[in-house]
Amino acid sequence: MSTAAKPMPAAPAAAAPAVAPLPNRSVSMTINGRAVGPFEVPESLMLIDFLHEYAGLTGSRLGCGQGICHACVVILDHPDGTSEEVRGCITGAAYFQGRKIRTIEGHAQHNAAGEVTALSPVQQKFLEFYSFQCGYCTPGFVNAATVLMERLKRQPIEKDRVESVVTQALDAHICRCTGYVRYHRAVRDLILSTPGLTKESGHGK
Amino acid sequence: MASSDAAGKKAAARGKRRRAARIVGVVVIVALIGAAALLAGAFDPSYQASDVDHNPPDAQLLARGRYLAAAADCAACHTARGGAPYAGGDALATPFGTIHGSNITPDKRYGIGKWSSADFYRALHDGLGPDHPLYPAMPYTSYRGITRADSDAIYAYLQSIKPVALPDKGNDFAFPFNLRLLMRGWNLLFLKNTLPDVSVGSSQQWTRGRYLSNALGHCTECHTPRGALGQLKLGGTLGGGELGRFQAPDITPSGLAARGWTPQDLQTFLARGYAPQGSVYGDMYEAFHHSLRYLNSADNQAMVAYLLGDAPPAPQPAPAPAAAGGQDQSVMAGRQHYLALCAGCHAVDGSGKPDVAVAMLGNTTVRNADPHNLLVVMLDGLDEQSFTGYNAMQPMPGFAGKLDDAGMADLANYLRLTWGGQKANVQAADVKALRGKGAAQQ
Repeated sequence: MSTAAKPMPAAPAAAAPAVAPLPNRSVSMTINGRAVGPFEVPESLMLIDFLHEYAGLTGSRLGCGQGICHACVVILDHPDGTSEEVRGCITGAAYFQGRKIRTIEGHAQHNAAGEVTALSPVQQKFLEFYSFQCGYCTPGFVNAATVLMERLKRQPIEKDRVESVVTQALDAHICRCTGYVRYHRAVRDLILSTPGLTKESGHGK
Repeated sequence: MASSDAAGKKAAARGKRRRAARIVGVVVIVALIGAAALLAGAFDPSYQASDVDHNPPDAQLLARGRYLAAAADCAACHTARGGAPYAGGDALATPFGTIHGSNITPDKRYGIGKWSSADFYRALHDGLGPDHPLYPAMPYTSYRGITRADSDAIYAYLQSIKPVALPDKGNDFAFPFNLRLLMRGWNLLFLKNTLPDVSVGSSQQWTRGRYLSNALGHCTECHTPRGALGQLKLGGTLGGGELGRFQAPDITPSGLAARGWTPQDLQTFLARGYAPQGSVYGDMYEAFHHSLRYLNSADNQAMVAYLLGDAPPAPQPAPAPAAAGGQDQSVMAGRQHYLALCAGCHAVDGSGKPDVAVAMLGNTTVRNADPHNLLVVMLDGLDEQSFTGYNAMQPMPGFAGKLDDAGMADLANYLRLTWGGQKANVQAADVKALRGKGAAQQ
């Protein structure tokens, strides 16, 4: 496995050569609308390490490293305009070769000096609802909620389904501080207050 | 003269034919009466009452009955997920329709509260309930080998548990399979007194293992192929069978040895749910949870002694890791898929991660010559699993939406060649045939 858990200043070019050294691969992708790479990376490098150690994007969090906690998820943008969550800790960087992803750094708006000028609606709601405490899981929750918002924009749901759809969308994400309720409330509130994401309940029934 | 001679011959022939027809008619009528009597139950066996019908069972008998009920995995079909113990099971899909395990709690109306120990033994031994024949989904083809004493112990235990007033869900078999009395004919054809042995042995341990595997554990019900009428094809005993979405693998001594199973590893697998060759999954996960993990160590070892025989064949070693690869296009593409989607949990070198994901190196499913189960797991994924103690495996996501048919085949070929000692001969069409077939997950 990679050297993911250790904070290494340089690229892990010389991973412990316990077995045969792994060949490198050239990887480039679009992250937050910007072309990144190509970088020569070990072919077994996971996306989370690629983001931290090659792309210089340290906002995505490595939690369990086993695909369970979902702190590390990024948004994968498909050519057809749909988006999905992908776990960065168990998905190889090479999987994203030529693809478009968004990370936590891509949500807020920045000015020319790189300062944040406006948060995304999801981020803003999470602040308003005190959704998080330590914040370690927050990048994952922001991405999950954003993917959900984008899906509802394409396919609005009945108002009485919001509760369960939010639960479903956030279900896989683990938080150890605030017990999910404030995340849940924030996303529910945002969906109900954003025009076009819901329709009246009880059509035809 | 000549004409009257011919007429006489003709008359004689007519007479002969008439006589023959009469004989055939009598035979047919007798046969029909016999068949009707058989189907109506005129030849059904009946059994004597025993001690458990009269004397209240002692704690020792109840404990033995409880152990035997676990060894016989009654819960597999008679307990629903999240349901009361033995109060009726989840749907079991068969080629003839869907059937539900019945309520076998001692409820007088809906359960077996009114049954005698002889009724119970007849159900196990002959597939005949007090009111009507059972379907062979109830594995009486195997349970026929259970002794009366063990049957009585299970009976006493079941009569001691909490009665649950829950009606049976029954079955939705279409004509003619909805005619239960036809099962008497099925029994006449297919119910055998003994099942063939899968291995050679004569030790006491082997004999006990045969009883545990063939009678109580009813391994053959899943691991032996079945014919058009649902009968076990006993010539291929334990050679592997169809089992809904998965296939029950070949568990003959040679089949097990070809996939690297040693007696020690098989004992560990049956007792703890996982071994270096992988973990239980699918229906075997249920069998492990309800039954196999409860076997005491003597019985665990006996079962393995029977499955592998008194002289177990030498296990074939797993292929050397770095040997495979080569220049095969499919395998090289498969390697990239492995690194992108699998290596995070199963590790780059295929060694897996404890309590996260099983090793691919030497994995029994990867080493199976038939890629069926490997492909199904890759397409559908697996639920989270817990084993004895604190051991567990994390849920495996299905990759049906991540890889197309060709990509799946490439990945399977990489696994097979690198860690399975198998040919890289999986085609996109093999994946297509399995894709979406009854897979609700994803």
